[in-house]
Amino acid sequence: MPAIDPHIGTQLVDLCSALLLLTCFAIVAQRRLSACVELFALQSGFLAATTALVAFLTGIHHLYLAAAMTVLIKGLVIPRILKKVIERLNVTRELQMNVNVPAGLLICGALVILAFFITQPIIPLGFLLTRDSLAIALAIVLIGFFTMIARKKAVTQVVGFLVMENGLFLGATAAAYGMPLIVELGVFFDVLVASLIVGIYTHRIQDAFDSLDTSQLTTLKE
Amino acid sequence: MTLVLLQTLILLAVAPFIVGLIRKVKARLQCRRGASPFQPYADLAKLFRKEPVVSTATSWIFTATPYILFASTLAAGLLVPIFASQMPLSFAGNIIALVYLLALGTFFLILAGLDAGSAFGGMGSSREAIVASLTEPAMIVSIFAIALTAGSTNLSTIVHKTALLEGIVTDPAPHLMALAALFIVTLAETGRVPVDNPATHLELTMIHEAMVLEYSGRYLALLEWAAGIKLLVLLTLIANVFAPWGIATSPTPAAIGIGLAVYLVKVSGLAVLIGVIESMFAKLRLFRVPELLGVAFILALLGLVFFYTLRG
Repeated sequence: MPAIDPHIGTQLVDLCSALLLLTCFAIVAQRRLSACVELFALQSGFLAATTALVAFLTGIHHLYLAAAMTVLIKGLVIPRILKKVIERLNVTRELQMNVNVPAGLLICGALVILAFFITQPIIPLGFLLTRDSLAIALAIVLIGFFTMIARKKAVTQVVGFLVMENGLFLGATAAAYGMPLIVELGVFFDVLVASLIVGIYTHRIQDAFDSLDTSQLTTLKE
Repeated sequence: MTLVLLQTLILLAVAPFIVGLIRKVKARLQCRRGASPFQPYADLAKLFRKEPVVSTATSWIFTATPYILFASTLAAGLLVPIFASQMPLSFAGNIIALVYLLALGTFFLILAGLDAGSAFGGMGSSREAIVASLTEPAMIVSIFAIALTAGSTNLSTIVHKTALLEGIVTDPAPHLMALAALFIVTLAETGRVPVDNPATHLELTMIHEAMVLEYSGRYLALLEWAAGIKLLVLLTLIANVFAPWGIATSPTPAAIGIGLAVYLVKVSGLAVLIGVIESMFAKLRLFRVPELLGVAFILALLGLVFFYTLRG
């Protein structure tokens, strides 16, 4: 076991998870697309830090590999793909939202409180040092979901999806010290492929409608 | 008693230097040489020597406001521990009193902006009222988040406990959120760049400058000085509540000396940070300001929520 007080270890994990949640709010408050993508990369960095910290504190070595994969795929490759998509589609600003920013922030605050409220009865039953992160993970999933609903354009909906995925990953780390390695590898591969496909798909939307507004897809008819 | 006197002197003496330091940092980042950080002292001295011109259309509020603002800001500053964690005046008011002393000054400044009846003054006042009403909830909630971790609303107790590592090590997450919220609030309250631009005059976007446009001579000097003190008080709050290490926890001369030196370093560091931020960011459009302050409020709220849930 590493020579660090488990109580301080818990605090450090909580702090890292809190930073993850902080970047979620930054994404909701942000209007510029490229900044959204950068914030997602930052969030993935915090996720990797949390995972590495858990690996260090528990001595479960495959989590180091998961952290490295997080940095590589979610911190570098996917943001680069999204940046390229944004560059090629020539969209820098996202002004169309279903919910305006202050209202969105308040809704997200309510979602966080909801997540904490839901997990409140479960948390004291846990014994892992990461158990408090479960509430934060649920909050991140809800905020990612909200981002997908609240934004009209395709690229930020993708960012919302990826944020949700980060939340699920944090949840897995928090609830069970990570999934088996083979599952994690599969998930990383899925996310990577999904973002590639979405990159191509947004091109097709742009070609068909001259806009990335996904609400126009509802007018499709045979 | 000497401690109170010393603290008053520091507040009065350091405030213009902080303002000058921010200007200097900004100038250097824009590849200008810039005036010396001590320039604001000369400006204040010059303004104090000049005769004030007061419009005949104004009431007593106009002439009383500089004194009220100056006194209330200074009184607020005396409630914050600066170099010693236990201030003799700490019985006089807690962190809520501090917020409302600052708000009292803002209130009179708004009234004074309206008093002369000029178009700019009224506009500045109405904008200041928007910003002040939005910063207040964020400030109060973030302060509650800190007060809960320390178990007291008295600033001296909070700082003393944190300096002796009785609070912050057990709860870094709420502190971090409250810190971020308070920093945004500080930028908004003191009319710094994302909200207001202190370097411009006669521009349609100004807030603080528009309100004090009618002032001259010693009244203007008092207002500018009070603005500097307000900035210093909020920076002190950030520096000493969140990172009070080095502050004098016992009233010995050596500890106070170290506390003083550490304090100056911390506040100068924050001033440099503000200068860098002002160079990096553009001023927000007025209608985007509520978004920024909404972020601050949500951060403070999260700090409060974290306090109750992440209890290990």
